[in-house]
Amino acid sequence: MRHATALLALAALALGLAACGGGHGPMKLFIWEQMDPKEQVLLDAHLETYLAGRTDLLVERVHYETEALRTQFQNAALAGGGPELIYGPGDQVGPFSIMGLIDPLEGLFAPAMLDSFNPESLIRLARPGESEAHLWALPDQVGNHLILCFNKKLIPDAPKDFAELIEMAQQHTADTDGDGRIDHYGLVFNQKEPFWLVPFLGAFGGWVMDEAGRPTLDTPAMARALAYLRELRAVHGIIPRECDYDMAEALFKEGKAAFLINGPWSWQGYIDAGVDLGLAPLPPIPETGRYPTPMVSAKGYSLNANARGAEREEALRLMAYLTGEAAQVDLARELGVIPSRKAAGAQAESLHPLVAASRAQILHGRAMPVVPEMRAIWDVTRPELQAVLGGGKDPARAAADMQRRALAKIAEMKGE
Amino acid sequence: MGLPVDPGGVQPARGAALGWRGRERLLALAFVGPAMLVMLGIVLYPFVYNVYLSLTDMGLYTFRHPSLQSPLWKNYAEVLGHRELYVVFVKTVAWTGVNVLFHVAIGLFLAVLLNQPIRGRTLFRVLLILPWAMPQYISALTWKGMFNYEWGVVNHLLQQVGLAAVPWSTDPFWAFLAPLITNIWLGFPFMMIIALGGLQSIPQVVYESASVDGAGSVRRFFSITLPMLKPVLAPAVMLGTIWTFNNLNVIWLVSNGGEPSDKTHILVSYVYKAAFTYYRYGYAAAFSMILFLILFALVWMQTRLGRATEASW
Repeated sequence: MRHATALLALAALALGLAACGGGHGPMKLFIWEQMDPKEQVLLDAHLETYLAGRTDLLVERVHYETEALRTQFQNAALAGGGPELIYGPGDQVGPFSIMGLIDPLEGLFAPAMLDSFNPESLIRLARPGESEAHLWALPDQVGNHLILCFNKKLIPDAPKDFAELIEMAQQHTADTDGDGRIDHYGLVFNQKEPFWLVPFLGAFGGWVMDEAGRPTLDTPAMARALAYLRELRAVHGIIPRECDYDMAEALFKEGKAAFLINGPWSWQGYIDAGVDLGLAPLPPIPETGRYPTPMVSAKGYSLNANARGAEREEALRLMAYLTGEAAQVDLARELGVIPSRKAAGAQAESLHPLVAASRAQILHGRAMPVVPEMRAIWDVTRPELQAVLGGGKDPARAAADMQRRALAKIAEMKGE
Repeated sequence: MGLPVDPGGVQPARGAALGWRGRERLLALAFVGPAMLVMLGIVLYPFVYNVYLSLTDMGLYTFRHPSLQSPLWKNYAEVLGHRELYVVFVKTVAWTGVNVLFHVAIGLFLAVLLNQPIRGRTLFRVLLILPWAMPQYISALTWKGMFNYEWGVVNHLLQQVGLAAVPWSTDPFWAFLAPLITNIWLGFPFMMIIALGGLQSIPQVVYESASVDGAGSVRRFFSITLPMLKPVLAPAVMLGTIWTFNNLNVIWLVSNGGEPSDKTHILVSYVYKAAFTYYRYGYAAAFSMILFLILFALVWMQTRLGRATEASW
């Protein structure tokens, strides 16, 4: 038994020593991202190029869904860990910067390098109590905006305005198998998420918040935008009664929807599915003469505030590489996204046939606010949008309820 | 660390015995120690940290440097003073009660059937365990698709038999019923397996004696089966109650995070939203402590009840 105890102690010691060792292997960096599958493939290819011939460095990419990425990173960073680089849409930098989880980047790169980016694409935000805005992420693409997608087999030319779109859509809304249920729709989009409401809000002259970050939801524009979306079904009969993101995608890919409203992340998937894809800016609404205004934002890399020493330096070099001109040209050529670097942006339209239409839509878009209050805005507009579209709630009352709840939620977030 | 050692080294036999026992204890500690350390790390530390968080103002603007609330119980007062808590609590009790009731009723019914010598019994067993064997995440999302108003198979079937389509995701009542049905489907196999195991341990001779005494099948079920299943069913019901009470996945995924208008929350999804959507960590920690106390009281009562009825088993 004495021997057994001694052996056990030795084994524990050996294990402990083994755990303490390993400090001389290659450096390991982590990137956490929420990319779409095709973006992930490209990132892997870019990492492979970056690491070619290097035995001193390993980079591990870890994928999360957008919401999981946010919560996982918050928890890991709070505990003093987390990946060196985190990739995501511009609106995640708001909470991360306020919580002190990511570091400002403006002092970490040469001014000439930062000047090579389109200034509108750089995600800057002032922290509470500070007057100066800091740079929180280096983008590898701009846009992330909604646009009108159409199946060119069904719709040869894009509509001039929304009245024409409705007319075309009505011709493609039908019960084709005679079972008494409509199986082909003129227009589909994610009716569950307010991100798809925002373009219509803009077309009626409204927006989600003012310059000071106060919600501006209880407006005639919001009430009219909600009513307009309901009319698409109740009056014009061109959209399904219920339709979420997956449903809209499935209908469009199967050729059962003529028009779809979706963003750049999805286009290549439709082409791969055999859809003869056409893109056009969301057309103006005759009632106001204004174009719908989708939110526009950049996607990019931020630096974990816990990254230290040699890992931090290497992470910055990697960030510069992944947002460099070569990587962005590749992204534009393969996915049709719009680069954030000026030089790459200049040649983007020759790289992919969809870039020109995408750019045309951005001209009518508005920058997505990156302040954390947007979470409250999304959260209160979502149920009201659904209540109007599905439950018959009065749009004006829904707009008033949005505003009241948004103010309460923002106060709660601020601990007031 | 053992008894005092004799300074003169006398009583060698007793000393050797103590040494042996001491070494045995040391060895036992070496075996149990790592597990204890892990338990301390993953159970005790998070619990204590949660208690601390519940007393702080940790939130979006105080994430890195939270300070203690003044008064200390401010978060608790806010949680308990919120009318919404009581509405969600009632919903949670209904959610748990209905779920566990159906889990036990369906599970027991199927277990009794599967305990009979029927053809294809093994196949039925496999098929009936499937809901439990499938990952909860996948089942929940599949059910969510099936509840779609226009394209879902549930409404399609309802319409086939002449009933109206149900607004499963937009009406608060039906939107709460949808995850309830999903969770009943997911949960009955567990009770079925437990009950089946219990049934197979009841000696056949007891039933035979009862039959000789003239007891019918209903009487045999209530006088033999049910009482003799109690020892296995009681802990299963307790576990089922805790799991269901704390089941975030199903309600969150099927109702899409509490839709419509946060009308389909149970306590655990409500606290999850407070913490991870609105960054109210201190408030959410206090809320989860109250959840813990509710569950603790429930388990305590059930244990007491179990002991009180133990004599009659």
